[in-house]
Amino acid sequence: MLEIANLSVSYGRVRALDGVEIAIKGAGALHGIIGPNGAGKSTLLDVVTGRRSPSGGAVRYRGKDVTRKSVAWRRRHGMARSFQRTSIFQDLTVREQLTLIARHLGDDRLGDVIEVMNLGDCLDEKAGRIAYGVQRRVDVALALIGRPELLLMDEPGAGLSAEETLNLFLHLRDLVRDRGMAAVVVEHDVDAVFACCDVVTVLDLGRHLATGAPAEIRADARVIAAYLGSAA
Amino acid sequence: MSGGTTTRVDARGGSLFAGSASVRALVYVALAALLFGFGAIAPTHLASEFVLRIGAGGLLLGMLALSVAFLMSQAGLVVLGAASVYGGVGYLFAIAMSKWDLSPTAALLFAFCTVIAYAAVLGALIVRTNPLAFMMLTLAAGEMISHSVMLEGLRDYTSGADGLVVTFKGAVFGMTAADFANATQFWPIAWSAAWILGFAAFAVRRSRFGAILRAIQENEERMRFSGFGTYLPRLAAFVFVNAIADVCGLLHVLNSGFVSPESLGLSVSTNALVAALVGGVANSTGPIAGGVLFAFAQDQFGAHGFTQLLTGLAVVVFIVLLPRGVIGGLIEGARRRSVLSSKRRRTA
Repeated sequence: MLEIANLSVSYGRVRALDGVEIAIKGAGALHGIIGPNGAGKSTLLDVVTGRRSPSGGAVRYRGKDVTRKSVAWRRRHGMARSFQRTSIFQDLTVREQLTLIARHLGDDRLGDVIEVMNLGDCLDEKAGRIAYGVQRRVDVALALIGRPELLLMDEPGAGLSAEETLNLFLHLRDLVRDRGMAAVVVEHDVDAVFACCDVVTVLDLGRHLATGAPAEIRADARVIAAYLGSAA
Repeated sequence: MSGGTTTRVDARGGSLFAGSASVRALVYVALAALLFGFGAIAPTHLASEFVLRIGAGGLLLGMLALSVAFLMSQAGLVVLGAASVYGGVGYLFAIAMSKWDLSPTAALLFAFCTVIAYAAVLGALIVRTNPLAFMMLTLAAGEMISHSVMLEGLRDYTSGADGLVVTFKGAVFGMTAADFANATQFWPIAWSAAWILGFAAFAVRRSRFGAILRAIQENEERMRFSGFGTYLPRLAAFVFVNAIADVCGLLHVLNSGFVSPESLGLSVSTNALVAALVGGVANSTGPIAGGVLFAFAQDQFGAHGFTQLLTGLAVVVFIVLLPRGVIGGLIEGARRRSVLSSKRRRTA
């Protein structure tokens, strides 16, 4: 589904990503990316979705090199994203923003997204006036429109309690399996990631440290030393 | 989870229970038709020629303000070069007739299309920039055009600071030059044009394109991440508002029979901006009403000999007391009253 090959990003002398190689499997897989602050997790998502250009390397999506493709092109071809800081249209009602995007992407099953994300009760509210937790759901709903094949999420649990984050991840796991899509989730809450993700990748200082099943990652000595410590 | 509500959502997100809304819409259309007819005819019988002339000038300024306001409210971009289109189309119309012997109608079409092409090229270059740079670039483009008509090398075409008298033989849309210059005959034309352009802006605002523009203004990044290109909608909006200013400039030159460097000047652009702010930028009625208010206020202030001073004071007072403009303030007031009365009904 997604192949990240020798990807590098530099900010002046600082290398935010340094030769990262990751392969994301296809349908039904929830792939977690963890790592300490400054590991390059969000930068990785930025490059994959076209928000930022890499200094080197390539991003291949469904076998095609999309490194130079625009954000909008990637979205129209099934690569969707949600943000660490909720990115919705505060002045539009929930209905207005969902329908605007659904019509653009030719998705006639908007009712499914509304039901899955439990937004039926706030459709006519301006998004800026609803609770933060609901705004997060709107953010995810915007990404789910058009039935994307690959969903990338940057800290979907930001601002939520540990219990809310775990519930969100469980919900996501079901969603990914039901819809047969792949999802990549960058998250700080390692418990939620280990509990719900099928595969986990660990980044450290812009480098790929390890990829594997949650149990393998928990037991990996390099990961324990660099990131998990006693949390393992 | 929310079946009761979601069953009412179709793919377009519309409500399936819209019966009473269509009756209300019919009532609004009938009222608007009445107001349109009354406004087109009554002033020609009730008002003096002097008042009609100021009123028509106010409507022209209002239409120019509409073009400025549309881009402000829909795309968050301020145009400071509206006069370059407003006056420029007049110059092109005059030159096409006098130098290239085009018929009035052909000259009109030539001038209109040339300005649209200019707007498309200028827009293609500047709509990508940030709002401040965009404003300054429209100002720069406007000033360049304003100064270019004064160039010695173009004097044969533009007559320099003297300006051009625009006369034409025959008729344009069934009206002679004398008809356009007659305040009583021009008023219904200006009134109709204001309605047509106002309705066009209203329709675009309410359309999917309008929603896309507002969404881009609010969160451009999310729009891109939702699969939208954000460049072409902005460019289309820029061309659209220039088409409004284009029509407005043509009406101005047909009415006044004269075009001069003053019509390209910064003061025309700033007057349009002020008229838009006074009337309110968030709807189509506000800028047009603002233009009429501005024109009559200028006349009154001029009579006292303190035009600029009193205009400045009035603008400050209006913007401080009515930040949404006169029409925006009225709409907001009506909305608040409606919310209050529905709350009272609920508590009773």
